[in-house]
Parts: sequence; structure tokens; C-alpha cells
Amino acid sequence: MQHGIAPAAQLRNARLLAMNNTDLDKLLATPTLAQMRAQLAGAGAPASPSQAQRLSAHAKSLEPAPRPLRLAIVHTYTSELLDPWLDLAASLQGLDVQSYHAPYGLALQEASSDSALVLHQPAITLLLLQREDLHPELARPTAGLGTEGQAAVRAEALQRLQEIVQQFRAQPVGQLLVTLLPSLAGPSLGLFDAQSDVSDAVWWGGFKAELAQWLRQSVASTLFLDLDEVMLQVGRRQFFDHRFWYSARFPFAAQAAFEVSRRLMAIGTVMCTPKAKVLVLDADNTLWGGVIGEDGMDGIALGPDYPGSLFVDFQRRILGLQQRGFILAMCSKNNAADVDQVLQSHPHQVLRDEHFAARRVNWVTKPENLRSLAEELNLGLDSFIFVDDSDHECAAVRHALPQVEVVQVPSRVVDVPACLDQVARLEVLSMTREDLQKTAMYAQERRRRELIADIGAEGVGAGDYLTRLGMRMRIQLDAQGHVPRLSQLTQKTNQFNLTTRRYQEQDIRSLAQSADWLVADFALADTFGDSGIVGLALFDVRVPQKARLDTFLMSCRVIGREAESAFLQALLRLLSERGVCEIEAEYLPTAKNDLAKGFLPAQGFMQDGHGRWRLDLRMTPARAATDFPITIAIDAPVAC
Amino acid sequence: MRIFDKLQHALSTTLKVPAAKITEVTSHEDIASWDSLGQVNLIMALEQAFDVYIDVEDFGELNSVPTILAYLARQGVA
Repeated sequence: MQHGIAPAAQLRNARLLAMNNTDLDKLLATPTLAQMRAQLAGAGAPASPSQAQRLSAHAKSLEPAPRPLRLAIVHTYTSELLDPWLDLAASLQGLDVQSYHAPYGLALQEASSDSALVLHQPAITLLLLQREDLHPELARPTAGLGTEGQAAVRAEALQRLQEIVQQFRAQPVGQLLVTLLPSLAGPSLGLFDAQSDVSDAVWWGGFKAELAQWLRQSVASTLFLDLDEVMLQVGRRQFFDHRFWYSARFPFAAQAAFEVSRRLMAIGTVMCTPKAKVLVLDADNTLWGGVIGEDGMDGIALGPDYPGSLFVDFQRRILGLQQRGFILAMCSKNNAADVDQVLQSHPHQVLRDEHFAARRVNWVTKPENLRSLAEELNLGLDSFIFVDDSDHECAAVRHALPQVEVVQVPSRVVDVPACLDQVARLEVLSMTREDLQKTAMYAQERRRRELIADIGAEGVGAGDYLTRLGMRMRIQLDAQGHVPRLSQLTQKTNQFNLTTRRYQEQDIRSLAQSADWLVADFALADTFGDSGIVGLALFDVRVPQKARLDTFLMSCRVIGREAESAFLQALLRLLSERGVCEIEAEYLPTAKNDLAKGFLPAQGFMQDGHGRWRLDLRMTPARAATDFPITIAIDAPVAC
Repeated sequence: MRIFDKLQHALSTTLKVPAAKITEVTSHEDIASWDSLGQVNLIMALEQAFDVYIDVEDFGELNSVPTILAYLARQGVA
């Protein structure tokens, strides 16, 4: 048979993108997973499953105690060939993936309580679907349907996908990830497609937007993982391997198989490891090129020309991370005045004073500064990601504070802007109003600290400070609309948390719907601003006259304002009115929740012989609202 | 390394069987994991190990050690 030059060209193409043996040998010699991940991001994907297996074995040798991650895959194309890539992507994150592949096809029978999939107890269920699974018309180009026909098919396809999602969501399948395979061919109308009123591409974009809106508003713990983005990243020609697609129904070339797996395991990492909250940035040779103390305002690289252009771009990407909900802090060995000058008056500086929740610009060691930042922000060090260009500083932090994730800024400056793109813990699976406003809230907190300093100077007490804040607490009961935020609070709150029980969105949703549980949350506002929802209590009330406090937590953002007591006492008054006489509670100590240790006795609870805390409301009635410097309002249940 | 040794290594890692089970006459019928999925994995492994691009119409033929060796000889792999 006659062959053109295509195969050789394709081989060359794939070889150029894939790692060569020198890269492989270097990777097989890396001493830490973090370095291996950073190098792999630059080296490209392994060329074959056997390369992936070798890398995976090395990664496993670096992490003797990986966290298990149970994965289930429902697929309408071959998925088993993904295994070596999934295994590698998991090992790189210190995860040990245990995969279950459902039988080939749209296996809806797996969405039942006794299915092999449900028995596998997956933390993540991945749906690998194709467009044509959603509607028979989608097996052909859609332009022929006309605009009305396309709209009808879109509605029907969306409904079909909603049914599929709901069937799986009704079972304990963990986080559900929905994917739709991009089309092997470009848009059916070719070059003109983008401009046509029956464009395939526009139709598809509209479908994705409707799907996203439905998932965002109505479904918990379900994420649309957009494979089009993977295709944009690796390119259509590197995404598909036509040979394996047509002969074995396996679509992914090595690049795509690895990138899909990497994204999936980033989600696994976010679910299985402590939440990252703070991005601590060095300044010199991180936010700008050069050293401000030596090079001065005009000498540092920051602006439209190379290499300043790439630092401007890096700062823009960091701003994007802040908008995802990460708090920015700065830690730099410098004279504070020099750095202040850049933040205030450098014309090309993107990140300004208001973007940083806290700063340490001094000559103290970085580990010491990180400890003091953790104290100021009231956040654990394991929620910190530290970014610095210096070998020495990175090593010092790794050594002194192993719980801090360290990202070293690459020495090749052109690699700097992308150096945080593949840090798995910087991904988010949902966003709340609180995330978008987080920086503003920390700025308010800074102003509150300034008020305390002023009052201290006037020589009056803390009570006076709280009164001056003019606090207003809004308590809401069984608020369905708050479910994502409440789940997030159980996941993220470590310090003021009596029991540290983590709940997924679907758990909170069912508790809020159940008559056996009381789900109460509160938001706190004062003269400086609104903190958003910062506290949660879950009471089990199935036994008449009794209530068991399953969860009681509060974000450290509002600690020290008597809000925790005001909240609990308000709920105790409410429970009294509902005829409850006895409250049972527990304090489960962890490495981090010492802050909550004295809370129950301070609220009048007594410890029984079994270590549980009890409060008899007939003997010790709830305290009155007027005991607290906070105005409290309780709202009835809010509909979804 | 001899071509056979290299092939034996590729087959044993890809199909997860001891190298001793792969001889000069082994075929897919002798090894349970050399099924249709194993075959696709093997094609990818052969491409990487021998730096060749295998056309889809040759996939079916590459189902035993002798046929793979013959194929590699035709491709000029020395």
C-alpha cells in the first residue's frame, strides 16, 4: 500500500513533543515529587505507557505512604488504556489510584445501590461520554438541522445528560466528573463555521454554557471537566491518535492521555490533601526581575519589554489565583521602604498593597516569617504554598516547615509565568461569593486591628472595641442555597472546629432537607464590612427533647468577637423553644483544634464519665441575646 | 542489546509477565494479558522501544514474537 510522508511526520511530531531518553533519565533521578512534577511540566508527556510505568515506579519510591484514591470510570469508549497514565499522574501527587472500569458502554445499571461501581466506593466517578451518547442527531454534523432544529436537539441532549447525572448523583459515587469527548474533526462548515448561524462550534459552546449553569445552580459535587481545554492545550493533532481510535476506540495520544490524567489527579489532590489557602510570594526575581535594593525602581525587570514582560504576565496569573479565592502574602528579604515604593508607584506593578493580606518585608529568616504570617492570618502552615526563586530559601523552608508546599521559581526566566499553572492544590472545585471577596475581607480585618491599636492608645477595654464594631449576626436555618459554602467550611476549617467532620455538598444538602437535623449557619457584618457565612452548627435532633451537636465550627476570620458564643446560645434558645432540654456535644482533639478545647466548658457544658459533654437546659438555661455585643436575627428556612 | 532481548523486555513490561515466559516462538495465544488491550499497549511500547511508527494495517500482524521480529527486520531495525 502506498504511504505518503504523513506517518514519518507524525512520528517526528510526537517525538518532538514527547520526552527523550535524557529527559527520562533526569526525571528518574529527581529526589522529590515536587521537583519531579516541576520537571515533567517542562519535559512534555512520556512517549509510551512503558515510560509512564517507569516514571510511576520512581514516583512511588519517593512517597512510601501514598493516600489511596478510589476511582470509578463509566465510559462509552475504551478507558482501560488510560491506566498507566492515571497511575503516573496519581503517583506524582502522592496518591495511589485504585480504578474500577465499568463494562463498556453507557452503563446506567452502575447507577444503582448494589452495582459493582457503588461497591467500589469511589471518591471520584468519571463519566467518559461522547456527544452522540446524548442524542442520535449528534452522531452527524448538526448544521443540516437549521437553527430551530439545533435548539431542539440542544434541549433534548441537555435533558438526557441531566438524567444521566441525576441517576449517578442519587448514589454514593463521590465527586462526579462529567466529560464529553471533543470532536475528532474540526467544525463541519470548515473555515466559514465560526461565522455561520448554524455553526457547530457555536452550538457546542451554547450547550456547554447551559450545562454549566445547570450544574452550578442545581447539582452538588459534580464538575464538568472540559476536554476541549485539554485539546486546546495539546492541539487537535496531538490529542487524537487516529490509529488507536479507529482500531481500538481509544482516542487519546500520549500527550492527551497524560494531560487528562493529570487534570483528574489534580482534582483528586484537592479532595485528598489539606486545602491550600495562602500563596506566599517572594519579591526579587519572583514578582520582578532583579533586586530592588540594588537595581532600584528603574533597574528591575517589570514592564512591556523582555524580560520585564514575563514578570508582568506572572503577576497577572497570580491575580487570577487570588480571584479563585487564594490569599496572597509577601515574604521578602528587603528594606520595607523599597518594596513599598514598587507597590505604590511602579507603573507596571500589577499586584498592589490591597492585593496582599499580609506582608513580611524584613531580614528575618523565611521560616520564621512564615510562622508569624500563619499566626497573623490565623491559618495553618499546611495551607501555605511558598513561592521563591532561591535554592537556599526553598531548602530552608522545606527543611524547617515540611508542611508548607514549596514551589521554586524556574531559573530559566521564560518558564516563570507558567510555574504555578500545574500546582494541583491551586485548583478549586467550586467558588463561592466569599472566595471572590476574600481579599476585601482581609483588608477589613487589617482595619479592625488598627481600631484595636487606636483603642489601646485611648486606654479602654476590649469590650468597648467590640461594641464599637456594631456587629450584626444573621443566622439561617436549613438554607439550601448555602450548601456549597457550608460544605466548604467543613472542609477548610481546622482550628475552631469541635469535631472536624468533613462533609461533601450532597451530605449537607440531605441534612438540610431532613427533619432529623438542624443545619444552622451565620454571617457576621460590622461597620467595616460583611464577613459572609463564617459559622456552622449541625444538630442531630431525631431523639425528642434531646439534641446532639455533631459539628460546630467557625472560620478564624471572626475569632475573638464573641460570635461563637452568641451563635451557640442563640441556637440553644431556639432549641429550648422547640422543647429540647438536653444537649450532648463532643470535642475531638486534632493537631490543630486546640483553640476550641475550652469552648464547651465555657458554655456551661459538663463532662460525663464517657468523655462526652452535656448541658441540661433546665438547670443551665441559655444566655440572653443581650449578653452579647451583637445584634442577632434568625431567618426561617430559605427555599432552594 | 540484541533485538530479541529488547523485544523480550518490552513484552514482559507491557504485558506484566516474567521475561522467561517470552521466547523466540511466543504468540499472543500463550499469554493471557496479550489480549486486544494488551496489543494496543504493546504497539505503543514497540514504537517507543524501536523508534518506529507502526501503521494501523500492520497492527493485526504483530501478534507473536516471530512476526514482530520479521516486521522490525523489514523496517530496517538492526
